[in-house]
Amino acid sequence: MGEFEPKIVGFLCNWCSYTGADLAGTSRIQYPPNIRVIRVMCSSSVDPIYIVRALMEGADGVLIGGCHPGDCHYINGNYKARRRVVLLKNILGTLGLEEERVWIRWVSASEGQKFADTVTEMVDTIKKLGPNPIPTRWDI
Amino acid sequence: MEGLILVKDGDIASGCNELFKTFLTSGKLEAILVSQETPNGKMAFPALISDPEKLRSNILSPILPVSEASEISRMTINKGSDKPVGVVIRPCQVRALTEIVKLNQANLENIVVISMDCPGTMDVNTFSNLPEGKVPTDIIMDHLLKGTDIDQYLRSSCRTCKDPVPMNADITIGLFGVDLGSGFLVQAHTESGERLLEGVKLEAYKGEREKAIAKVRGGKDAKREAFISSKKEIKGIEAIADFYDKCVNCHNCMNACPICYCKECIFHSSVFDSDANKYVHRAKNKGIMKMPDGALLFHITRMNHMILSCVECGLCEQACPSNIPLMDLLIPVAENAQRELDYYPGKDPDEKLPMVVFREDEYRSVGEK
Repeated sequence: MGEFEPKIVGFLCNWCSYTGADLAGTSRIQYPPNIRVIRVMCSSSVDPIYIVRALMEGADGVLIGGCHPGDCHYINGNYKARRRVVLLKNILGTLGLEEERVWIRWVSASEGQKFADTVTEMVDTIKKLGPNPIPTRWDI
Repeated sequence: MEGLILVKDGDIASGCNELFKTFLTSGKLEAILVSQETPNGKMAFPALISDPEKLRSNILSPILPVSEASEISRMTINKGSDKPVGVVIRPCQVRALTEIVKLNQANLENIVVISMDCPGTMDVNTFSNLPEGKVPTDIIMDHLLKGTDIDQYLRSSCRTCKDPVPMNADITIGLFGVDLGSGFLVQAHTESGERLLEGVKLEAYKGEREKAIAKVRGGKDAKREAFISSKKEIKGIEAIADFYDKCVNCHNCMNACPICYCKECIFHSSVFDSDANKYVHRAKNKGIMKMPDGALLFHITRMNHMILSCVECGLCEQACPSNIPLMDLLIPVAENAQRELDYYPGKDPDEKLPMVVFREDEYRSVGEK
C-alpha cells in the first residue's frame, strides 16, 4: 500500500489567495498536488455547509484562503470568515470531529511562496493526522 | 414598580387570569396572547384573545407546544401592532424573541412582554398522557409550594434551564420567593409595563426573592453541569453518527426552532440537487450512499447557523418524530460556542449578533499558525 495522500479542498478568494496560487504556478514553485482549488469571490462567502460537506464526501482537510487582515477586497470579509471558522472549529471540537482538519490562512496575491509553503505544511500535518474518519460511515 | 396581588385559596392561575382580564376590560390592551388549555384539558396553545369573556388562561399549565416567540414573529414580521397587545410568554421565549428581533423577524412596537418565573414544562405527550387523577397544574403547584421533585415530568431542556427567571420582560409575574398561598408578585420593569399596572391594587412585598431565585438557579446550574458532563462521551464520528442514526430528514427540529427562520432553507433549495449520474458518481466514491443523504450535514450546518442564538428551549427535541434527544448535543455545543464568542443570547437587546461583528485584533492564531 502506498503512502497516504490526503485530499485537500481549498476555497481560495479571488483577489488574494487564488492569485497567490496562480503566482506559485507561474513562478514554477513546487508544492504537493494534494489540493483541489475552488475559486470563491471572498473567504466570507464560504458557508460552513460547504466545508462540512467536503469533509463528509471524502476530503481529509479543508483550507480557506483569504486576503490578509485589513486587505480584504470587500473591506472586512476576511474578519467575518475568521469568526465563522472559529465557530465551526468550536462546534466540530465539541463533537470530537477533528477541527484541526479545517484551516484558514491569509495569502496575498504576491505570496506565491507562502501559498506553496502553506499547502506543504498542511499536507504534512494531515498526513500525520491520517485519513479523515468521517466518510468511513456510509449512514450519515 | 412591584407588589403582591392577593388571591383567594392560593389560586394563582385564576388570579393571573383576572389580572389579564382587567388589561382587556380597561382598554389598556387591545388583545393578549396567552397560553390557554384546549377544552378537553389535554393540550394548551397560545391564543390571541380580544374578548375578556373568552379568557381562561392558566399560566401554571406546564406546556410549551410551539414557540411563542415564533408566533409573535408571525404577527409582527411585516408590520408592528398599531394598538398595544400583551404577550404572556415563558422566559426562554422572551430570550428567543430578543434574538429574532435582532434577526429582523419580529417588531416589538406596541407589544408588551409579560413573562413569569418558570418552573419548567412537560413534553406534549407527557402532559396529555398523565396518569389518571394527576393534574399538571397541581404537580407544578406542589413543586412550587413544597419543593417536590418534578424532574421526571420535565423536558431535559427545562430540567437544565439556565434562566428560569425572565430577562427583558416589561412585566414579570414572580412565583419564586413568594408565599403563593396568598398571592403572587408583579414587577414592572419598563414604562409600558408600569402603564399596564397603573390602578392595579398592589400589596407591599417583603419576601426574599433574590435568595429564592439564587436557590432555584443554583439547583438548575448544578443539573446543567452534570448533564453536560454526562454527555461528554458523545464524541467522534462513530458516536455522532450513532446519535443521529434515527434522523429521517423531516426537518421538524428546524421548523419548531424559534431561531431558524430562513424563508428558504438551503436544505430546501436546489443547491444540492443533482441527477442520477451524479448520484451514481457519489455512490462510487464510497461504494455506498445513504438515501436520503445529508442528515448529519443538516444537523451540523443547522448548529452553525443558529447555535449562537440558541436559547435552549428544547422545542426541536420535542418536535422530533424519532425521539432523538437533540439537546444532549445542542446544550454542550451551545455552551462552548457561546463562551468562545462571548455571547449570551437573549440577554442584551442592544448587543449585536456575533456573526455580524468582528474585532481586528481577535483570534489572531486562527488565521496564522
